[in-house]
Amino acid sequence: MRIYNPTFGVSAAAGAKVALKPVNWKTDAIALVSNSKPNARELLDGIRSKLGASRQVDNIKFLAKNSASQPAPKDLLEEVAANYRGALLAIAD
Amino acid sequence: MKDIAEQEVIDLPDMDVEAFNEFATQQGWSDGMPLYIPTEDKVAKFVATVRGDNRPYPPVPPRLVVPTIQALAANAVMAGCKPEYFPVATAAMRGVLDPAYNLHGTLATTHSCAPMVMVSGPVRKELNINCGSNCFGQGWQANATIGRALGLMLLNVAGAKPGEMDRSTQGNPAKFTFCFGENEEDNPWTPYHVRRGFAPTDSVVTVMSGEGPHNLNDHGSNTGVGLLTTFAGGMATPGANTVYGKGPLFIIIGPEHAATLKRDGFTIESMQEELHKRSRVHASRISKENQETYNSTGHKPDGDWYSITPTPQDIHITVAGGPGKHSAFIPSFGGTTVACVRIAR
Repeated sequence: MRIYNPTFGVSAAAGAKVALKPVNWKTDAIALVSNSKPNARELLDGIRSKLGASRQVDNIKFLAKNSASQPAPKDLLEEVAANYRGALLAIAD
Repeated sequence: MKDIAEQEVIDLPDMDVEAFNEFATQQGWSDGMPLYIPTEDKVAKFVATVRGDNRPYPPVPPRLVVPTIQALAANAVMAGCKPEYFPVATAAMRGVLDPAYNLHGTLATTHSCAPMVMVSGPVRKELNINCGSNCFGQGWQANATIGRALGLMLLNVAGAKPGEMDRSTQGNPAKFTFCFGENEEDNPWTPYHVRRGFAPTDSVVTVMSGEGPHNLNDHGSNTGVGLLTTFAGGMATPGANTVYGKGPLFIIIGPEHAATLKRDGFTIESMQEELHKRSRVHASRISKENQETYNSTGHKPDGDWYSITPTPQDIHITVAGGPGKHSAFIPSFGGTTVACVRIAR
């Protein structure tokens, strides 16, 4: 017998490819981004402290979106893209 | 040869329903209940009901594939729909694809939300969609299978596999199916879809990412003011997402409660105002830790009170159900919207 596949779909056209440059986690500016769930900031604080043992931390900044249930707003994504070479995201559920 | 997941049409050895269900479960296509077999001829009958509705579907998050109409129909067949239900199921699918519905968030969240589907207009009678007694419950094929078809589309097309992309902590029985009709005949106010700008003769699907219905039992109050006291008290719950997510919600008033409220002069607008004012949650009922979190994320109280919707208009009100002194409160996910789609027929 022949059946239709209930999962079938056409992949959406991919966005323009961006050439990624390697991140130097020892020196590059890094964003620590919270999804605003409880304890996300504490988790990121701990990561920043641990990173401080092996690198400078004055270019590691905390950012947050104001709703865990909504996608990150465009201005936040643009801020990360413009100012940081890497980003670590905390989910912290 | 292509992997099964990449094939639009799959050749299988002839098999009975039990064997097909074993196969479908292995593929991850099942919600755990028995499925019908989406054969080519059955799918074709479903697809024929939406000829002329050529609006393209956007990529469906989180999986971000553009579904074919045959794939959507396969899910409706598996759910046990009749072909004539399919335009309702596809309208519901279009509703959850409204960007403000936030499909990715509502499917991937740890919250228990499920897509609530309400049907308004003439199609309710044509398809025998239950709007009266036990409208949220069992016993009607259209209610049971239209809601289930949407759930299967979200599982199979959107990719909301429980424990994987669907991260709900406990889930919710409404994830199997949650579809009911508006009881326009016993609604003393304007039908919901007409208030949303549609014609009375239009048939419309309304979707919201919600919890299951919370009962609002009031046998004692004989006045509209008394009933709204009970409704507001039931809505003022610190455990609902709406207390900090501040999204929309539904109040589904039973016909007997509706008659009392109408008799006492309440309009939809005056009920929205009253409920918005009186369903606030006092800070003393919210833990200090939660208050700190809400404050840090911009969900600040008004004095000592947390409102549960941004505005009175976010309290959506209509009538459904049969005889009895019960109504229902359906909280939402919070970061979502109430989307309406006209059923293309």
